[in-house]
Amino acid sequence: MNTLNFKTMKINFLNSNIMKTTKFFLSLFLCVALATSCSNDDDNPDPVNEEELITNVILTFTNNADSNDTVVMSSIAPDGQDGTSTETIVGSFTSGATYSLRLAITNASETPADDVLNDDIIPEADEHFFTYAVNSINLTMARDAGDVDGPDGNKLGVNTTWTAGAASTGNVQITLVHEPTGADDSNEFGSVTGGSEDLNITFTGAEIQ
Amino acid sequence: MKQISILLCFVTCIVYGQDCRYSLKGSVKDFHDGSIIQDVTLYIEQLNKYTTTNIKGEFSFADICSGSIVLVVSHVNCETKTINITIDGDIEKDITLEHHVEELNEVTVSGASNKETSTAQESLIKSDAIEDFSSASLGDVLKTVSGVSSINTGSTIVKPVINGLHSSRVIIMNNGVRLQDQEWGIEHAPNIDINGAGEISVIKGSGALAYGGDAIGGVVVVKPSRYISADTLYGRTIVGGQTNGRGYNVSSTLNRNYNSGWFAQIQGTYKRNGDFKAPDYNLTNTGLDSKSISGRFGKRDFESGFEVYYSYLDNEIGILGASHVGSIFDLERAINSGQPNLIEDFSYDINAPKQEVTHQMAKASYFKRFQNFGKVNLQYDYQHNQRFEFDVRIGDRRDIPAIDLTLQTHTISADVNLDANLNRKIDFGIIGRFQDNFANPATGVRRLIPDYEKYDFGAYITVDWQVSDETIFDAGIRYDFNRIDAKKFYLKSRWDERGYDDDFSDIIIEELATQFLTNPVFDYHNISASVGLKYDINDTSQIIGNYNLASRPPNVSELFSDGLHHSAARFEIGDIRFDKEIANRFSASYVYKAQKLNLLAEVFYNRIKDFIYLRPFDFINTIRGPFPLWEYQQTNAELYGIDFTATYELTNKFQLENKTAFIRGTDLEANSPLIDIPAFNTTNKIRYTNETWHNFSASLKSEWVFVQNKYPNFNFEVTNQLTNESILIDISTPPPAYHLLHFSSEATFALSKATNLNITLGVNNLFNTSYRNYLNRLRFFADDVGRNITLQLQLNY
Repeated sequence: MNTLNFKTMKINFLNSNIMKTTKFFLSLFLCVALATSCSNDDDNPDPVNEEELITNVILTFTNNADSNDTVVMSSIAPDGQDGTSTETIVGSFTSGATYSLRLAITNASETPADDVLNDDIIPEADEHFFTYAVNSINLTMARDAGDVDGPDGNKLGVNTTWTAGAASTGNVQITLVHEPTGADDSNEFGSVTGGSEDLNITFTGAEIQ
Repeated sequence: MKQISILLCFVTCIVYGQDCRYSLKGSVKDFHDGSIIQDVTLYIEQLNKYTTTNIKGEFSFADICSGSIVLVVSHVNCETKTINITIDGDIEKDITLEHHVEELNEVTVSGASNKETSTAQESLIKSDAIEDFSSASLGDVLKTVSGVSSINTGSTIVKPVINGLHSSRVIIMNNGVRLQDQEWGIEHAPNIDINGAGEISVIKGSGALAYGGDAIGGVVVVKPSRYISADTLYGRTIVGGQTNGRGYNVSSTLNRNYNSGWFAQIQGTYKRNGDFKAPDYNLTNTGLDSKSISGRFGKRDFESGFEVYYSYLDNEIGILGASHVGSIFDLERAINSGQPNLIEDFSYDINAPKQEVTHQMAKASYFKRFQNFGKVNLQYDYQHNQRFEFDVRIGDRRDIPAIDLTLQTHTISADVNLDANLNRKIDFGIIGRFQDNFANPATGVRRLIPDYEKYDFGAYITVDWQVSDETIFDAGIRYDFNRIDAKKFYLKSRWDERGYDDDFSDIIIEELATQFLTNPVFDYHNISASVGLKYDINDTSQIIGNYNLASRPPNVSELFSDGLHHSAARFEIGDIRFDKEIANRFSASYVYKAQKLNLLAEVFYNRIKDFIYLRPFDFINTIRGPFPLWEYQQTNAELYGIDFTATYELTNKFQLENKTAFIRGTDLEANSPLIDIPAFNTTNKIRYTNETWHNFSASLKSEWVFVQNKYPNFNFEVTNQLTNESILIDISTPPPAYHLLHFSSEATFALSKATNLNITLGVNNLFNTSYRNYLNRLRFFADDVGRNITLQLQLNY
C-alpha cells in the first residue's frame, strides 16, 4: 500500500473544504484496493499443467528374424510443444530385413511418466491418425492386420512392419494428426486432410547397410 | 383597479409593519479572477426595480421594503444569476458572476476550438465526422487525421498508429479515464464504442502530460457530448446496413437535461456482421458481434458538479479461419499460395479462432471551483477487462479459451486548474493507480502474460502562458513511478537459455519439476516534460514549435512473454532485462487559414532510446515441427516525418482536400529500417455541397497507399528435414502499392421543428480492388475487404 503515502502530503495543498471529499475518495480507493489485493496477494498462482503433454517419442524397429537387431529413433522435448526437441537414431537397418515398429509416446515430466499412447491416443483411436514418410532411404512399410482401428475404418498406424531395401541413407518422418477431416491408409504411409498435428518429427540420417 | 392595488399594497404594508426605507448596496466581481464587472443589470422582481453597476462595479438600490426579494443579476456573456435575499436592514452584498465561461472551457460554442493542448500537434474530430463511422471502430475514425494510420488484425481489430507508434505508446482516454484494456498486444483493439463519443482529440507526441508521461506516440482523448444547461430531452438514433459482411448496426442516445444542472444520458449500440468478402473470395470467420451500453448522470453548474458514469462493452470477434496455422510450413504455404486455405460460404457464425472481450468502466468525479483560485477535480475510476482468446482446439478443449485474462484497474486522481489569471493558467495534479491481472490456469496453456500487480503514481504540473496577443508559451513536467510485482512461471530450459540464472536467481520462489515460479518486482522512475511555443505571424498564419520528453517502462508482454502464442502460432520471447524507453520528440507546425485555402503542415523528429519491438527471428524445432520464433528486441530508433493537410474551396459548392503522410523509421543500431512503419500515403477528395438542397453533399475520395520500400529484411530459411529442401520464409516483403476509390453522399431532411433525418449512402472500395496492407497482420493469408455499400439513417430528435 505504499502508493498511498503520498496522499497525506497532497492533502495539505488542498482547501479544507474539499478535505471531506478527498477523504471519502481515498477511503473508497483504499477499501477497493484492499478488497482486490487481499484476495490473491498471499497465495501463489497455480502452475499450468498442459493436458496431453508429450515429451518423449520413441520408435523402436526390431528385426523380425533377429531381436538383437534394432533401430531406435528417439525425440525428446522436455517442455513438450513449448520448447525445442532433440532427435537421435541408434542403430541401422539391415538390407533385406523386415522390422516391426513399436511406438512409445510418453509424458516424462510426470513421475511416473504418463503413457500417452495407451492412455489417451489408443482409447481415442477414432480421432487420431499416424502418418509416416521417408526420403532417400529405401524403406517401405505396411500397417499390420492387428493394428488398432483408427478413423473411418483406417488403421491407426501403431503396429506397422517395415522392410529395408538396398543400402541407403535418408530421413524418416512420423506425424500424429488429431481429428483429421479425412484419413486414408490406402498407400500404407497414410495421408490426411485437416486436423491438427500433435506430432511432426523428422529423424535425419537413418541408414540401411 | 390601480388604486385598489395601491390600496392593497398600503394595507399589506401596514398589516405586516413593513419598512420600506432600506438600501441594498454592493459590487459585482468576476468569479474566477475577482475583476470588477461594470454594466451588470440588476433587477428586483417584486419591485420591478432596475439598476446597473458603475465603472467600479458597484450598484445600489434605495427604498426597499423588508422581506424576501429575488435579485436577478445579468450581463452580456455571463450566465444569469438569481439570488434570494432577505431584507431586514441596510444590506451590503457582493455578487460574483462568471464572465469567462467560454475561456474556462465550461461551454462549447459551435465552431470554437476545444483543444486539450496549446502547442502540441493536435487535431479534433467533430461529432458529425464520428457519426459517419457509426458502424466502424475507433481506429477507423482516427485514420481521418493525417499521420494516423492503423495496425490491423483483419478489418475489425483496428489499433491506432500515431506517427508510426502504437499499442502501449498511445494513451487512449475515454471520458476522462485512461483505458486499461491490455493495450500491449497488436491484436487487442481499444475497447471503445465510437457511438459514445461526442468529440475526439488526437494529440501527436506526449505533450498532454496530464494524461501520462509515456505517450511516446500520442494521446487520443475521446470525450462524450457536451452538457447543455437547459430543460431539454433530446436524442439520436442511427441505423445502418452494409452489403459486405451483411452487417447492420443500431445505436441510440437519449439525453435529459434540466435547468437546475441535473443531466442524464443513456446510450446503447449493437453491431453485427458476418463473414466479409474480399473481391475474389469470402473471408471465412470474420464476423463480429458487438454490444455496448453506457449511462451517466450528474449535476453541474459553474461552481461545482459531479458525474457518475458506467459503461459496458462486449465484443465477440472472429479471426480469419485461414490464419490458423500450425508449423512454419503452413505459414510458408499461406504466403506463397496467395489465397486463404479455408473458404466457406457466407455465415454469421463466429468460430475459433476468435476473441471475446468485455470491458466495464465505472467512474465518479467531482469538481468545485473556488473564487480567485481555480477548479479542483477529483476522480475515482474502476475498469474490469476480461479477455478470452479461443484458438482452434481439439476434443474436450474445444470450448476452453487458450487465453483467459482478467485485468482490473483502480485509479484515483486529483487535479487543480489555477485559472484565476487566464493569461497564465497553471494545472497540477496527482494520480494513483492499482492494477491486478489474473491469468486463469484453467486454459491448460502456459500463461503468456503472468499474474501481476502494478502500482503507479504520477504527479505533474503544466503552465500555459499567453505571453502576448500573438504568443502562447506552455511547459510542463511530470514524474511517474511504476512498480510491477509479478508471479511468473518460467520453464527451466528457457530460464537457463536466457541466462537469467546469473542475474535473477534470487527471484525464484518455488521450484517445480520443469518450471520455476519467480517473483520479479521491477520499479521504474520516469521523468517526462514538454515545452512549446505558438506564434501568430499574422491573421492567417501561425507557427508552432514543441519539444517532448517521454519515458515508457516496458509492458508486461515485452518483459514476460516466453512461449507459444497460440493465436499467432509463434513463439514470443520477452526479456526481463529491458530498460524503459526514453523519447525526445521535436515538432513544428505551420498553420495557414484563409477564406479559400486552409493548410496544415506538421513535421516531427522522434529519437527513441531503448526502443522495444517484436522481431521475427527464426524458428524453433518442436515435436510439432518448426515454429516461428519472434523475440522482443531493444535498440535505439529514430522516426521522422511530415503530415500534410490542405483544403481548398474551388467554388462555394466544390471543395478539394488533400491529406498526405510521409514517415521514416530507422533502427540506429542495425542501421536498417524499422519494422511496421506505414508506407507513404496520400488521400485526395473532391466534395460537392449544396446547402439549399437538404444540405446535400457528395464526395469522391481517392486513397493511394504506396509500397513500403524501407523495410527490414527478417526473412529466414528453414530446412524441410524430410526432403532436405531449404525453404525461404518471406515474412518481410511488404505488399504492393494500391489505390482505392470511395464514394459518399448525404442529405438531411427536417421532419419537424426539432427532428431531422440524415441519410448517408456510401460505397467503399468502389472498384472492388484487391489489395493487402503492410500493417495488417493477416496480410499473409488473405486480401483485404472488397466493395462495401453502406446506408445509414440518422434520426436526431
